[in-house]
Amino acid sequence: MNWKRNSYKIGVVIWLVGLCRAFAGPSDDFKSANQLYDTGKFAEAAAVYEKIEPKTAHVYYNLGNAHFREGKLGLAILDYERARRLAPRDPDIMANLKFAEQRLGVDDVNAPPRAWQRFLRSIIESRSPNEWGMYELAALWLAALAVGVCIYIPRLRTVLLGIAAAAFVGFAASVFALGHEVLGDRTAPAAVVVAAETEARFAPVPDSTTHFKLIEGTRVVIREDRGHWLFVERADGQQGWVRSDTVERVVPQS
Amino acid sequence: MRAWLVIAFLFVATGAFADVSVVASVDRNHIAFGESVTLTVAVQGTQSGTQPSIPRVDALSFDGPSTQSSFSLNNGHMSQSVSFVYRVTPARTGEFTIPAITVNVGGQSYSTEPIQLVVGKGAAQNDASQMLFARAQIPSQQLYLGQTEPVAVLVFVRADVPFRGLSGFSEEADGLGFKYLQNLKQGTQVINGESFNVGVIEGSISPERTGTLNFGPCILKAQLTVQKRGGSSGWPFDDSMFDQMFGRTQVREVPVTVDAVPVEVLPLPEEGRPTDFGGAVGQWKLDVTAKPTDIAVGDPITLTIKVSGNGNIDTVPMPKLGSLDGFKTYDPTTKTTKDELNTTGERVMQQVLIAKSTDVKELPEVRLAYFDPEARAYKTAVQSPIKLVVKAGTGGQTTIVSGGERLRPDEKLGQDIVYLKGDLGPAVPGAPFCGTVTFWALNVTPVLALLGTVGWKRRTDRLRGDVAYARRTRAAKKARRLLTSATSYDEIQRVLQHYLGDRLNIPVGGITASIIDEQLVPRGVNGELADRARACFAACDTARFAGGEADMSVQATRDNVGRLIDELETKQL
Repeated sequence: MNWKRNSYKIGVVIWLVGLCRAFAGPSDDFKSANQLYDTGKFAEAAAVYEKIEPKTAHVYYNLGNAHFREGKLGLAILDYERARRLAPRDPDIMANLKFAEQRLGVDDVNAPPRAWQRFLRSIIESRSPNEWGMYELAALWLAALAVGVCIYIPRLRTVLLGIAAAAFVGFAASVFALGHEVLGDRTAPAAVVVAAETEARFAPVPDSTTHFKLIEGTRVVIREDRGHWLFVERADGQQGWVRSDTVERVVPQS
Repeated sequence: MRAWLVIAFLFVATGAFADVSVVASVDRNHIAFGESVTLTVAVQGTQSGTQPSIPRVDALSFDGPSTQSSFSLNNGHMSQSVSFVYRVTPARTGEFTIPAITVNVGGQSYSTEPIQLVVGKGAAQNDASQMLFARAQIPSQQLYLGQTEPVAVLVFVRADVPFRGLSGFSEEADGLGFKYLQNLKQGTQVINGESFNVGVIEGSISPERTGTLNFGPCILKAQLTVQKRGGSSGWPFDDSMFDQMFGRTQVREVPVTVDAVPVEVLPLPEEGRPTDFGGAVGQWKLDVTAKPTDIAVGDPITLTIKVSGNGNIDTVPMPKLGSLDGFKTYDPTTKTTKDELNTTGERVMQQVLIAKSTDVKELPEVRLAYFDPEARAYKTAVQSPIKLVVKAGTGGQTTIVSGGERLRPDEKLGQDIVYLKGDLGPAVPGAPFCGTVTFWALNVTPVLALLGTVGWKRRTDRLRGDVAYARRTRAAKKARRLLTSATSYDEIQRVLQHYLGDRLNIPVGGITASIIDEQLVPRGVNGELADRARACFAACDTARFAGGEADMSVQATRDNVGRLIDELETKQL
């Protein structure tokens, strides 16, 4: 056997085996979790889904389904939210998220109060931050290219400046959406109430006056983090302090 | 000071109603028709009297009041009063009595004495009475309760008097349900050979109670163009184009009265009243249609009943239908339309019926009993039964439709979450692309490229259009290139000449060592650098013209020129 001649073949085989092993783990866990779900063992299925790393949109989605079947609708909404962030236009995710919100009666609470706010949010949330980033780059390059060509081909000035203007508008819109998503996650991270019911208080102390009540599945943004207490804001603008163990961040803290 | 004010206030307050009297007066008791008098109701001794209520006087109109107050303190005696001033205009000639007028002062009522007023036929009256009059037209003065009758109030103005319209119309028609149109119709009419402009107020009455009721009196204010007092021609109705043009005329409101017209309102007769009479009065026509008439059991039939005619449509009830036992019925819908005076109208009723079985053969008879005031009798409009063809429903047998509901209830779809995903789906990117170095580099690159492009374009444009700039920019590069291939003093000097010519944007041909003092020294090149430049020129000149060996070799001269160029490049020339 000529090892030198066949060394590249051996290398390819080793690489393929390694690749298969690398993907075998999550895929097997995913299938076994699906089987547990099919047999009605939702808690066990959820535990297996939780172990899968990295979690894809489908893992979060199935985890949300398992939590939904367990009756943990707040966690289910959290999982669907996480899945939606990774696959913003997946109709199954959107349908289950809406259904869970309706089941808990928080669909109207989670929606911004004004129509234009709802419209803006639907536009921004229809793309992931990476997609908005790609749009932003494409629009910027197109605008720069159109202006650059316009300098050297003045007779196409009208057309090229029109393209540049449109591209710049797209660039500005993409920057706005991207900034909203990225900066929003950093300055006011989104979270979901996972406790059955929690009280938002006027101060971060247990015996302070209750401002309003938050029911399970309500979407909030965290304005301030003081360890055991979080200052949160509901979609309608109401703010209050809640215990940190009653809400879960949509983007987990690293 | 404050004590004095309090005392003064108490003095005024206690004396406010101490000696109150109320007096009514007119400026003239005898006037000609067309003129007005001023009625003043003066309340002496107080300023707090409430506005008096003026009793209604037939054919007299009261305009106002305007209020005048006065207060005076003379030798310690205070007097105060308030006057209510009215403008009284008669609508006819004759003797009038303005009855006692009551004024309430401080909760106590004071009454004035009645005032007599005589309105004679003045010089102008004869003309006015012939030129302006009004009358009411009611076709029938004997009406039935609920009957609607058209009426018209006509204002006649002689054709040679400019008639601009009516500015006011008040009437009394208590219990007659009088309605009239706001739009005044105008026309002409000849009476006794005299032509008149006629304004017509169209209306209708619909008596609301029985007995003898009066239509009127009505008071109208006609707007006529008359000549101002003091004009050359006779008052009031002379018209002249020049008068109007030069402002010698004015529009005057002249009141005209329509005397009351009695109307006898009769109750609907008991005799001959049908048992199904529901109160409809007028002349009514019944029109009944049904669609479709060829149906299957369970199919809906739309029955349309239209009642139309003359009279008050509001009195017309739903016509009576015969037995509808064979039908499932739904509540009817009604639509009523009528004219503004409610003298004609139409009411359309639609009802959906569903035949329950094939035994149904016809729609029942429709009847409407009403009282015809012209015929003075009750009548009944009848629509004969409408034939139907009812077939069996689906399944070839008679189907009883219960409650008119759909045979198949609305399907209710179940709701639940969507099932699991069968695969892991697309891999999750390890880290967000946004915020990475690559992302920022890709953002900065097009901006820098664009700036570079703009700069390059500006530079090339300048090089193309600015010769001095082009020569200056390219001088050193060109000189260095030529210098590397220069092998003689002649070539070295030419390089130096070209360089200086390009740097200074001057012709190359005449450049000698003198240029150092003429051009370079004034531009700040002096001292050692200027000496070296002179030395370079001198070495080249010596070698070229003396034919001998210069102090410096060609190589050394070339190096010197090269360094000279490098140093001159650092200078702003």
